[in-house]
Amino acid sequence: MTTLRTPDPPVAPPAPAARGRRGRPAGRRRKSQPEAFAFLTPWLLGAVALTVGPMVVSLYLSFTDYDLFTSPEWVGFGNFAHMFTGDDRYLQSVKVTLIYVLVSVPLKLAVSLLVAMLLNTRRGANGFYRAAFYAPSLLGASVAAALVWRALFMGGGPVNEVLAFFGWHTPSWVDDPQFSLASIVLLGVWQFGAPMVIFLAGLKQIPAELHEAAAIDGAGAFRRFRHITLPMLSPVIFFNLVMEAIHAFQAFTPAFVIGGGRGGPADADLFYTLYLFEVGFQDFRMGYASAMAWVLLVVIAIVTAIVFRTAKLWVFYDDVESTGERK
Amino acid sequence: MGRTTERRTKRRGVAALAVVVPLLLTGVAACGSDSGGGGNVTINFVWWGSEGRANLTKKAVELFQQKNPSIKVQTSFSAYAAYWEKLATQTAGGKPPDVLNVDSRYLAEYGGRNVLADLNSGAGKAISLADVNPELAATGVYQGKRYAVPWAQNTPAMIYDPAAFTAAGGDPAKGMTWDAYAEVARKAGTAGPARGVTDFGILDTTLEIWLRQQGKQFYTPEGKLGFTAGDLRGYWQLASRFRDTKAASPADVTASYNTSPEQSPLGKKLTSSEFAYDNLLPAYQKANGKPLNVAPYPTGANGDTGQYRRPSMFLAVSARSQQQEAAAKLVDFLINDPEVGKIVGTDRGLAPNLKVRAQLASSAKGNDKTLYDYEAALEPKLGAAPPVPPKGAGAIQKLLQRTYEEVAFGRMSIDDAVNRFMTEAQKGLS
Repeated sequence: MTTLRTPDPPVAPPAPAARGRRGRPAGRRRKSQPEAFAFLTPWLLGAVALTVGPMVVSLYLSFTDYDLFTSPEWVGFGNFAHMFTGDDRYLQSVKVTLIYVLVSVPLKLAVSLLVAMLLNTRRGANGFYRAAFYAPSLLGASVAAALVWRALFMGGGPVNEVLAFFGWHTPSWVDDPQFSLASIVLLGVWQFGAPMVIFLAGLKQIPAELHEAAAIDGAGAFRRFRHITLPMLSPVIFFNLVMEAIHAFQAFTPAFVIGGGRGGPADADLFYTLYLFEVGFQDFRMGYASAMAWVLLVVIAIVTAIVFRTAKLWVFYDDVESTGERK
Repeated sequence: MGRTTERRTKRRGVAALAVVVPLLLTGVAACGSDSGGGGNVTINFVWWGSEGRANLTKKAVELFQQKNPSIKVQTSFSAYAAYWEKLATQTAGGKPPDVLNVDSRYLAEYGGRNVLADLNSGAGKAISLADVNPELAATGVYQGKRYAVPWAQNTPAMIYDPAAFTAAGGDPAKGMTWDAYAEVARKAGTAGPARGVTDFGILDTTLEIWLRQQGKQFYTPEGKLGFTAGDLRGYWQLASRFRDTKAASPADVTASYNTSPEQSPLGKKLTSSEFAYDNLLPAYQKANGKPLNVAPYPTGANGDTGQYRRPSMFLAVSARSQQQEAAAKLVDFLINDPEVGKIVGTDRGLAPNLKVRAQLASSAKGNDKTLYDYEAALEPKLGAAPPVPPKGAGAIQKLLQRTYEEVAFGRMSIDDAVNRFMTEAQKGLS
């Protein structure tokens, strides 16, 4: 499954690296190098043998026709050309994945921020609620969570029953092309725990004086949110946005389980990674699958780069205090 | 940095590597040296299926080990889809199992790529097919080479709930035309909560039988599609008639279809009949809970059921196996030993060895007896199996399913769906 994993791009923590706190005197660093490498050896071996090696091979395979059993044949850019000119299912998988990213990521960030703010104001049983809301994301990409989701949303399942009680008769969500993707988006949004915890940490860093001063000046809750919370939180929003977008592009398990392992009804849940998996491991076209993996990697890199570029416009870095603490 | 320091740095780095690498290697070696006790030769044997099937198969393997103490067999099994994914990766990694379970849909895929040994030569000659129906035995031959031998025989069949159909005024076991079936299925479907039949527009097996009833075939011996756009349109019009009159399942139920009986609409009591294979009767019965029965396919006006002696699954030997003789011995044992026949029963279908089958048939009870009687009654009408499907047949099955779903959900007209299917299928098979 290494082909499905694209390495996380170098997402630096939002603390601005270019702020001049660049490490130790040069001499000391050189001196500790051999020991460092010795201790790094296991990791280096692993990285080379398990990540870099397979990536190089997969890059080579992406230019070949390879059926897993016989030797690969060089086809140049044939695989890449086929994706965009001769493969309707590929385009469908791009469409499904883009919809998923564009809908689930903002929704998830909004929900996690909302819950984080609720937890930030209440004092009482905060720890309990934090754990309770965080739990679903521990199940993360697990098969069990997706199976439960499938049971909830299938024909005659609890969701059908509840909606029918309110007079809205829906088909089996997971088996209907109109609803199926929505059920997967909901599963993604439900697992908002990780960004929520990070938001919560960010919220706690916003000095209370700012809110108090603004309140004295007559700013309402919404204005304080708009002009204090959002700008102060923007580095954290930025970090969560990048991480969640990358995860969303790589979503696989929920679509695999909820879509019955085949892209759902009429290909409605044909996620990019799912199609990649099907092409490589079921249809024996590993060359094409490798090419797809590289396109995904490049697209994620480009999207991340774009988000980084726009960051200058909307991410506000506070002074020294916060950079020190966020390490 | 001075030259000496640089060299020293390097040397120390190398020394560190020299310590760490052997440590890692010995660790790996320790994991790898997992030789089983007792046997001189170890072979790997894999199959797909449920836990229950695995228990039966493991018992048969134990018996084999008792009779051949010099051979140790390591077994593993997984569900159908996972099985193929695992097998593909193992094969790509150069370590396919010695004895493997193969399906006719993937026989060309693996045989045509020299993964499977030709059993007509070398060690494979030890496998006796003397008591196997010659037509059935021939189903494992692709492009002149015997890549596999049938492990069991079954036949495509209708599994149905007799109570629901009798109440609706017809018994499929007696044989009926598609028109008569449409009528009873409609009545059965409107009478109770369960529809008459699981929509068969998605099923490649049913399309194949329907084509055979008209003297056509799904794949030609050359590996091309054996039917035209017009044929497929006719088939989907038939299926849509069932769906529109509520004889067949609604689209969302059809889309939830899954080849395992526990998760299929009939198994979940959402329909009263489903096209499948006769040997699945016990599994369907267990899932559905009501007493079920098997019936032949509905027919056209000429009364031809189009059914055939189907290799329910195959056994094959890896071409890369170092232990082909031991592997062939196991295969021969599994298909010809009378004791094995008793152990595994009809789980995969009827025993391929006719002598073993006759012995078992005489003492069969319950569902087993139903199966033996069903196939015995059908035997004179069963035709020869179609040629081995070409590479890409597995993908065609999925293509049929999703294009018909477009029709069932009303997102595409039958004509458009037929066009899409024909275009993509021809691309996939070329």
